[in-house]
Amino acid sequence: MIEVRGLTKRYGDVLAVDDLSFDVEPGKVTGFLGPNGAGKSTTMRMMLGLDRPTSGKALVNGRTFTMLAEPLREVGALLDPGSVHPGRTGRNHLRVAARANGIPERRIAEVIEQVGLGRAAGRRIKGYSLGMRQRLGIAAALLADPRVLLFDEPMNGLDLDGVRWIRGLLRRLADEGRTVLVSSHLLSEMEQTADRLVVIGRGRLIADATTEEILRGLGHRQVRVRTSQPDQLLTRLEEHGFTVQRVDAHELRVEESTAEQVGDLANSFHLPLHHLSDVQQSLERAYLALTSDHVEHHAREAERAPTTMEAAQ
Amino acid sequence: MTAPSTTPALRGLAEDVSTGRVFARTCAAEWTRLWTVKATWWFLAAAAVAMVGLGAVAGFDAAADPVPPQGDPAWLVSSISAMPAQFALLAFTLIAVTSDYATGGIVPTLQWTPRRAVLFLARAIVTAGAATSAGVLLGLASALAAFAAARPGLSLPLDEGIEVLATVAFVFAAGTVLAVGLGFLLRNTAGGLVAVFLLMLVLPLLLPQFGYEWMSALAEILPGSGAAFLLLKGVPGMTTVSSVLVLLAWAGGALLLGWLRLMRDDANR
Ligand SMILES: Nc1ncnc2c1ncn2[C@@H]1O[C@H](COP(=O)(O)OP(=O)(O)OP(=O)(O)O)[C@@H](O)[C@H]1O
Ligand SMILES: [Mg+2]
Repeated sequence: MIEVRGLTKRYGDVLAVDDLSFDVEPGKVTGFLGPNGAGKSTTMRMMLGLDRPTSGKALVNGRTFTMLAEPLREVGALLDPGSVHPGRTGRNHLRVAARANGIPERRIAEVIEQVGLGRAAGRRIKGYSLGMRQRLGIAAALLADPRVLLFDEPMNGLDLDGVRWIRGLLRRLADEGRTVLVSSHLLSEMEQTADRLVVIGRGRLIADATTEEILRGLGHRQVRVRTSQPDQLLTRLEEHGFTVQRVDAHELRVEESTAEQVGDLANSFHLPLHHLSDVQQSLERAYLALTSDHVEHHAREAERAPTTMEAAQ
Repeated sequence: MTAPSTTPALRGLAEDVSTGRVFARTCAAEWTRLWTVKATWWFLAAAAVAMVGLGAVAGFDAAADPVPPQGDPAWLVSSISAMPAQFALLAFTLIAVTSDYATGGIVPTLQWTPRRAVLFLARAIVTAGAATSAGVLLGLASALAAFAAARPGLSLPLDEGIEVLATVAFVFAAGTVLAVGLGFLLRNTAGGLVAVFLLMLVLPLLLPQFGYEWMSALAEILPGSGAAFLLLKGVPGMTTVSSVLVLLAWAGGALLLGWLRLMRDDANR
């Protein structure tokens, strides 16, 4: 169980995390979603006491992480897999962790086996691929069998096998009753992995609900229609209370409607249609729509891009 | 997947572990951290070559002297060879502290030991302690090497040996504690090395050369002057008391600043 209450972090002028409150419950995989720079890593760093909150707090199993005597028995975390001394062997890296938390030596071999690091554990970390570093970080997180697990973008840079492996692992950990928080900037990645989603943008909470609820809430419907008489159709549609967008010379977009509604209406005014279809709102775009007000880096133009994107599809 | 050794749901809150226990474990972790990287061994080897090598050379020199020494104490060699060797040990200590910052390793370190005060003390004691102990043993080895090489020209009187080795231990301890403090304060290997060398070697040597009164006075309150006086004597303006005080003040001050930075600032950004 993780409780985040009014968590705020300011770096000079940048408000990286802004009055964030949410809970992460045991037995579920919770996706922590947000575009680049949203404040996911900063939030996780504050949960682990690495960064000092400007205000607010984060409790892990009811306690502040920095008070824990045996932190690895409570929380296992993988932040940045590159943050390790490259000159040490993987096994020695884990050995340091085990010593610091009074974990028996045999657990080291067990987690090495569990993450599939195998013989690479005896080699220096500088020779590891990104995937191997991720596995090493996960091995350290699992070392003391903790009840809470935090992973910051664990699928970054992994191949398909690696991604599948992590998905399975997250599922198992949650099914064993652990609290699992996984950050990502890709909704598509999380929709297959997470039971719940906490969505943030510019450090603020945007949504906190089950994955299903969020996906349903996002799926707002649109109809795409082409006609030789777009001006007339546009007028008629607007008369009937639809919100319509002119996309190009012959194409319109009708918000919150269905192909039947638009087709019937066009028919009743004897307007010829050349194309009529429901637009399946892509999840990534829907997510962008959800966070676009909160995205810092995206230029205004990026939000005008959907037409081009559609054309490309 | 190996089944977890205990079911998390069945386990209560982590049992209370005493702070002493946590400290002992952190020291064990720091010990492992120290000796599982190559740099540690390289700097130790450099210190060993300097001290034992100089000891042997001094011994052979003494033996080859047309007027061989008549039982002079070999211990002199320990404190002379400690002068260059201390820089290897200073680098040894500094890098043990800053490499965590250079590599980002401080992130896992603080995940495994989130009580920063415990981490600070453990790292200071383990790194400065290891460097100082190694330095004293090498001081002993240095004198033994000189004694063996010059036999029977030199002697090894016990009381003088204790005094010399205690002085060497004090200089190494103060210097390496200074390095620990600077490492935690600067969080940067290159910057830390430059600072250590400026304070311990370059400025104490350079400042008096300009001939200004105030520059010489400044040099007298630098830790390098204190170390040089205690090991070699013959540093103008210094006394044993002033040397000890200067070294203690610098070591304590740097340690305090390093402590404050670790306790107050974000882990590594
Ligand atoms: N040390 C720092 N100094 C100044 N600004 C910082 C610092 N660390 C983070 N930030 C800013 O805080 C914001 C949040 O950063 P954070 O790394 O938490 O985002 P994120 O959601 O993890 O993004 P990503 O998906 O790119 O990993 C960003 O605007 C970032 O520039
Ligand atoms: Mg991040």
